[in-house]
Amino acid sequence: MQIVTEHITLKNEDVILTNQRAIYWEREEALILSDIHIGKTAHFRRHGIPIPDGILQKDLNRLKELILHFNAKELFIVGDLFHAETNSDMATFKQWLTQFEDLNLVLIKGNHDTQSLRLMDDLGIVVMAQLEIEPFIFLHEPMDNTLNLFTISGHTHPGVLIKGRGKQKLKLPCYQVTVNQLILPAFSLFTGLNTRNIPKDASCYAFTDTSIFKL
Amino acid sequence: MNFRDSEGLRIINNWMAEKGIAPFPFQLQTWQRYANGYSGMVVAPTGFGKTFSVFLGVVIDYLNHPEKYPKGLKLLWISPLRSLAKDLAKAMTEAVDDIGLDWTVQVRNGDTPTAVRRKQERMMPDVLLTTPETMHLLFSQKKNSRWFKGVRCVAIDEWHELIGNKRGVLTELAISQLRYYSPKLRIWGITATIGNLEDAKHVLLPYSDLNITQITAKQRKKLDIISVLPDEIEVLPWAGHLGAKMVDKILPIIASNTTTLIFTNTRGQAELWYQLLLNAQPDLAGLLAIHHGSIDKKLRNWIEDNIASGYLKAVVCTSSLDLGVDFKPVDCVIQIGSVKGVARFMQRAGRSGHSPFERSKIYFIPTHSLELVEVSALKEAIKNKQVESRDPMVLTFDVLVQFMVTLAVGEGFDSEKLFARIKEIHAFQYITKDEWQWCIQFITKGGKTLNSYEEFHKVILDEDGLYKVKSRRISMLHRMNIGAIVSEVNMMVKYISGGYIGMIEEFFISKLKPGDSFILAGRILELVQIKDMTALVRRSKAKKAVSPSWLGGRLPLTSHLSHYLRLKLSDALQPGRLEKELRFLNPLISRQDEHSHIPKSDEFLVEMIETKDGHHLFMYPFEGRLVHEVFSALMAYRISKLKQITFTIAMNDYGFELLSDQPIPVDANNIEALLRKENLMDDVVASINASEMASRKFRDIAVIAGLVVQSQPGTRKNNKSLQSSSGLIFRVLEDYEPDNLLLRQAYTEVFNQQLEEARLQQAFERISKSKVILKHAKSFTPLSFPLKVDSLRGTMSNEKLDKRIQRIKEQAFKIE
Repeated sequence: MQIVTEHITLKNEDVILTNQRAIYWEREEALILSDIHIGKTAHFRRHGIPIPDGILQKDLNRLKELILHFNAKELFIVGDLFHAETNSDMATFKQWLTQFEDLNLVLIKGNHDTQSLRLMDDLGIVVMAQLEIEPFIFLHEPMDNTLNLFTISGHTHPGVLIKGRGKQKLKLPCYQVTVNQLILPAFSLFTGLNTRNIPKDASCYAFTDTSIFKL
Repeated sequence: MNFRDSEGLRIINNWMAEKGIAPFPFQLQTWQRYANGYSGMVVAPTGFGKTFSVFLGVVIDYLNHPEKYPKGLKLLWISPLRSLAKDLAKAMTEAVDDIGLDWTVQVRNGDTPTAVRRKQERMMPDVLLTTPETMHLLFSQKKNSRWFKGVRCVAIDEWHELIGNKRGVLTELAISQLRYYSPKLRIWGITATIGNLEDAKHVLLPYSDLNITQITAKQRKKLDIISVLPDEIEVLPWAGHLGAKMVDKILPIIASNTTTLIFTNTRGQAELWYQLLLNAQPDLAGLLAIHHGSIDKKLRNWIEDNIASGYLKAVVCTSSLDLGVDFKPVDCVIQIGSVKGVARFMQRAGRSGHSPFERSKIYFIPTHSLELVEVSALKEAIKNKQVESRDPMVLTFDVLVQFMVTLAVGEGFDSEKLFARIKEIHAFQYITKDEWQWCIQFITKGGKTLNSYEEFHKVILDEDGLYKVKSRRISMLHRMNIGAIVSEVNMMVKYISGGYIGMIEEFFISKLKPGDSFILAGRILELVQIKDMTALVRRSKAKKAVSPSWLGGRLPLTSHLSHYLRLKLSDALQPGRLEKELRFLNPLISRQDEHSHIPKSDEFLVEMIETKDGHHLFMYPFEGRLVHEVFSALMAYRISKLKQITFTIAMNDYGFELLSDQPIPVDANNIEALLRKENLMDDVVASINASEMASRKFRDIAVIAGLVVQSQPGTRKNNKSLQSSSGLIFRVLEDYEPDNLLLRQAYTEVFNQQLEEARLQQAFERISKSKVILKHAKSFTPLSFPLKVDSLRGTMSNEKLDKRIQRIKEQAFKIE
């Protein structure tokens, strides 16, 4: 796995975008990501749809590499940590978590996060509806805000369609950045892409396994 | 007792005599064979009473031997179309009432109300008309075998519509299951003429214990094909679907006939032509209707009733009216645009002059110039009595695992016994023990990689040794998923004030913004909002609006027709005296010849053009779109061996285009090597692996096998947490379980359905003997232009993703 980064400045804060679907905020030593959907593959299996769990392993491995790479102290999950009901994937996740004893986990509750607070307690996760750390507000669903606040959210699984000469088309996941918000791509690889509803005047930072670039 | 003197036959003969008709020889023959215990296949064109061949055969046998028939279901009538059932049931009910038989005849399909279905489950009628899908739904019910133990005959109507696709496999499986419940079952197929009748019979009746017969009606329909030419060639575009000026030619035809069916090839075109005709002659309002698969059922029923009563003057329709009820007043059929196949053309023509002794009359309206060559080819094929074959599908594991789960949801199955039955079926005669084990593994453990997962309990081996589904939720999900027709994701369209209009593909509606207007069911509608998979609309005041495109329903040219097309085009420079279509086209053909070339039958044309879009390479094998998809991927693959390059690929029935942003390294020196017949199949395999073809085929497979849950239009509960795309699952399986049988099936389907190895070999054999003509044209030619405007495109690249992006960036890209 190759971590490629792009440094940007948001509200005078240094933020590092990576091609591995997470950003790093240097001041707070926080790794920030969204829509990891743990439990999705097991949820499918419970409903008779066989999806291999190698996908979860791969997601967790990427996350581990990122935490180690930045030596992150905080992990902010901007919603949809879990996909659905409590299932065996949660045990896998709990086991995985034990290797990061000092990591502080904060979950901004997403529409998929219907787990009981007791389970979150058990996992040592602080759950909030939204998190405000100057100059940012973290929340799950992007909103049209006219206030002088900068929101960081996820939820939409943003992607971008690039058209080139010779009628070429490429669809890639991306970060969407405007003057007052940043929308994170879905962290899990077992998710689709939404190339519609790009916010007005957004810059897109698209990425591949080996690169990240501004459009 | 001699059948000829039997009471049953006497009753039927009297009944027919009262109506002033006499049985056709093939009907009499069917009755007799049925009485003698035969199974078989009846080959007869529509309109000659093929229904009454098998149906009355069963009635006569019952009248002669009522003691052999237990109470309950006696005859199952399986037909591909729901809309057929209603009218067939009416005709059958009339017959049994007239002759004083106390039978009940009922319909059961997706349109049947729940109350009626519950009632049937308590007490089955004597005759049940249904569809292959509904049969499988019945098999998924608890204790379903009790309904079928007394069934004496299963009739498969319109077998030719089923045999070439996965619904045919569903039918084969249903017959096998019925034979298991009722071992003495007689099986009768009814089919129109197709190129491979022997195959069709064998696929339907593979069982060695049956006495099998084939009965062919001698009657033939007389057919007039009239092509309608515009006043001047310039009126017709080179490509696209217009030719709107032809409206002036259509109106007089409608006026001079009683009732006209106007066939178009897509729902989008139907909407378009409906508007064109109404605008040209507003007083047709109320007398002209539009009928296609996306229009509300109630409206469709109303239209069908009003065709039958003769109230409507004309109906613009799609293949939705290809089959079905005999519309007596219809005396004229107009076909707009190419019909893509001989059999379909004859079927549509047969919708006019429906009574056995009338002539069928069909007008052909070209929408672009090259279609005139097609109609000329079509006439030649019909003259030579060449009708396409419909090749049965084999080893469709997606349908098999669906069926296995269906049985597990129903009464459960024993693995060994079911395997023995499955091996009897044509589609699975070559299934191996290993493959069967894989299927069992797939439904019980989810495939090889899932050995250790506790949560996967789709099908379990019960204590009684039967495989069963225990979870109610999985049963429910499965029942929703039964069938083999995979449609695009559809949305319901409703007025905001209430009132259902029809269905539209999500793909189309997602491109519209609230306030945009579009056309559906002949109405101009304004999109208000989208909610719960429903598009809410109001009437629009706009004069013009986009007509929707439906991705489905684009038909490829059959190989038969393409063969004749090649010959006709090469004739076109010197058309025969009687070929008015070709004579008419001559100016355009000359233009192609002037700017590029018209390939003779021993030549193969390649064109290269450079435009602001990029560098284009065109080839014209005239093998039909499906073969061109494989052919183009092969060429892209071979060229990419010379240089790292990215292509977008477009194809139609005449040829294909490779388009690249970089110069394409093809010239007179290497063109013959690129078209070499050596290493053909190796390169084809490599190119299929490199292209998106298998991933596209996997779409249907994933849905049928239950890997992708389709959302149900208009329902609030659409299993959102189980949404994923077949593309995503395709990639996951490629990564984690490359030997998954369903994944392999996707590749095999590309091979079996599109490529037909023998045909591709022949094409390359032909090309290797041909003179390859490479032309550099300055602008698009009459042959290349239709490919330029085609919007369906694929991609093939052997470049690194980052490198592609880099170059696109340098070319100043567009973002969407």
